[in-house]
Amino acid sequence: MQALGGTLGAVVRNAEGEPVKGAVVYALPLDAQGAPVPIEQPAVIDQVDKEFVPNLTVVQVGTRVQFPNRDQIRHHVYSFSEAKSFEIPLYEGIPAEPIVFDKPGPVVLGCNIHDWMRAYVFVVETPYFTLTGEDGRASLELPAGSYAVRVWHPELEGDPARLGQRASIEEEGDAEVRFAIEQARVWRPRRAPSPGAGSYR
Amino acid sequence: MPIHFASFRARILVFVAGLLVVVQAAGLLAVQAANLREARRSIDEALELTAAAFQRSLEERRKILVEKALLLSADFAFKTAMATGDHDTILSALENHRARVGADLMLLLELSGGVIADTRPAALAGAASELGPLLARAREDEFGEASSIRSLGGAAYQLVTVPLFMPEPRAWIVIGFALGDTFARELQQQTRTQVSLLLRRPDGWDAFCSTLAEPEREALEARLSGSWREAPELATLVLDGQEYVAWTAPLDDEGGGLVAVLQRSLEEALASSRRLRAQLLAIFVFGLLLSLVGSALVATRVTRPVADLARAARRIRAGNYAEPVAVEQRDEIGALAASFNDMMKGLTERDQVRDMLGRVVAPEIARELLSKEIELGGEERTVTVFFCDVRGFTGIAEREPPERLVRILNTVLTGASAAIEGRGGVVEEYMGDGVKALFGAPLEHEDDARRAVLAALDLVAALPQLDREVAALGGSPLAIGIGINTARVVAGRMGSLSRLKYTVVGDGVNLASRLEGLTSRYGVGIVVSESTVASCPDLAFRELDRVRVKGRSASVAIFEPLGVAERLDPERREQARRHKAALERFRARDWDAAEAGFAALARHEPGSRLYALYRERMAILRAEPPGPDWDGTVSYDEK
Repeated sequence: MQALGGTLGAVVRNAEGEPVKGAVVYALPLDAQGAPVPIEQPAVIDQVDKEFVPNLTVVQVGTRVQFPNRDQIRHHVYSFSEAKSFEIPLYEGIPAEPIVFDKPGPVVLGCNIHDWMRAYVFVVETPYFTLTGEDGRASLELPAGSYAVRVWHPELEGDPARLGQRASIEEEGDAEVRFAIEQARVWRPRRAPSPGAGSYR
Repeated sequence: MPIHFASFRARILVFVAGLLVVVQAAGLLAVQAANLREARRSIDEALELTAAAFQRSLEERRKILVEKALLLSADFAFKTAMATGDHDTILSALENHRARVGADLMLLLELSGGVIADTRPAALAGAASELGPLLARAREDEFGEASSIRSLGGAAYQLVTVPLFMPEPRAWIVIGFALGDTFARELQQQTRTQVSLLLRRPDGWDAFCSTLAEPEREALEARLSGSWREAPELATLVLDGQEYVAWTAPLDDEGGGLVAVLQRSLEEALASSRRLRAQLLAIFVFGLLLSLVGSALVATRVTRPVADLARAARRIRAGNYAEPVAVEQRDEIGALAASFNDMMKGLTERDQVRDMLGRVVAPEIARELLSKEIELGGEERTVTVFFCDVRGFTGIAEREPPERLVRILNTVLTGASAAIEGRGGVVEEYMGDGVKALFGAPLEHEDDARRAVLAALDLVAALPQLDREVAALGGSPLAIGIGINTARVVAGRMGSLSRLKYTVVGDGVNLASRLEGLTSRYGVGIVVSESTVASCPDLAFRELDRVRVKGRSASVAIFEPLGVAERLDPERREQARRHKAALERFRARDWDAAEAGFAALARHEPGSRLYALYRERMAILRAEPPGPDWDGTVSYDEK
């Protein structure tokens, strides 16, 4: 497949021109190719030491996501997000059923009993997605064709579609897109002290 | 103008009282000033503490409000309700939570600021834009939290806002607690300070919450009107006649006309100092009374003996030395009284000495002796010296027993003294049976010589009376001789410094003594020298002789006084004239005529020693006629 495509490079910077790390860059094929094949492999978001790991997960629409609880206490995972509103009431270990993320869009996960716990699942309708590194750069190996390239970040202000760019990957040709996104302050609740620890972490 | 006090006591009283008043008044003023300063300082300090407490209290409340808001923001059921998107459900849940935390208002706002739900009645709900500044600050905060104190719809609120996490921030929760009388009263209980919150309205300041009474509240509103303070300040405030120290600070975080005034009454702070002042005043009055009484007592203790001394001094002036001053104090006054008594004793002794001296010597001499410094020395002056002697006293002394002798002598001397002093003479001394008297020293008269002669005549005239007195004592009649001479002599104190007398010395003194010795020779009572006679123009004398006495080269004419010339009876005057004529014949060596003259005189005075003397002398001269230098002068070699 790669032989028929090229590499799409992307650079994401914020309003100050600084590279943005951990931004989701995804490419939506504009040529009708039919729905992408769902990925059988489920995604996993662990809960370790009262935090979600990883903090940001990008999945294709239809991906089943497991929420294994690695802590000795229970968690209550929920989301009121539009793309996926769900709730796994207090549970231990691995829930019996994974959650299927069947609509595209950002989903913010929280834990009802640990206010500070937060994770993001970004559901995309394409298999072509990646995250920027420290330098704000990312690259996607894409088959030749036209794509709407978009970027999303938990602190992104506004609709990702607004920032969409078109990119064409010719045979044996590379392309590059640049994004300048506006980051908004995202407040987080204070993390409660661990019982007996006597201090904040 | 110097003040004069009638009495020492008044002076002491005024001095002590004045001193006390000045010292105490200075102390009182200093204490008063210090108290006022201290009261202001402590009020300032207390107000600063109170202001800090006030700020802390607001901060505590803020924290509590934030905690409450955070609890709501984390409430899952509320999030669930929020997720329904149903306004009524959300508002109902909001109202439920408002009641749960006891807030006065609660709002749910979109992140952009639009109102999702508001628990306030629609009529009171102001524009959401009022909360804009609050949200703006919350957006800048790390945790999305902010608080403010401001007025909303005419009431003051402490507001807090936090994000509603679902779990990402999806809305703002705003809760508000009204600041009212309860808040003020709580603060007053904590800080014991009057607390007022004022809100600026179009028509002036409104003390919408205050611990002050209504009149003071209105006064405070009036006082603040028009002014707006950017920073907290301390100031003195007079409300309704009461003085306060006030701390005024803008409360509003958003410049919206909300002011907190904390105030403490200066009167109350000064209450304890007033008590202190009253106590000091009482101590002052008590001390003043005590010192007045004390100084009056002391002054009396001083002045009474002084008055005693003054009385004693008046007694002394009156001549009464007998009564000493009775002062038993051992202080300076006592010492003074003791000295005073010593002085009285000294005066008494001196008086006794003076009295005794007056008896030992003539009072005039005593005065002369006492009047001047005790020193030796004299002055030359003309003095008539008067010697008087009891003729034949040696024989009397042998005859009479000593006791009677003394009495006879005293009688005679007393009579002689009386005659002398009667004429202003001064008895200088008694010499055994004799008297030495002075006329012209120490007292001087113009006619001292005449006085002496008259005194002698007086004494002779008094002899019959004296004789009667002596006879009464058992003695026989006396004969006396008097010699008088006037001469320049030295008069003064003589002897040694330890023992001296007032006397006269000189040739003239000796002559007077010699003349006294001549009386018996001429058979007369009185012999006067020519110098004395020259000083007595109105007296009649009979010249006795011209003599040269032992130790003297010059001859001197001697006379017998007869009395005042005018009062002399004609017979005696005739006798004197004949005597003078006979004497002239004698001196002219006309023996026959002189003999005839003296014989005639002697016939008239049969017992006369004088005429016999001349007749005897002429008998000799006839036998041995004198040489050519003979002038009738007789020399006496014996004393």
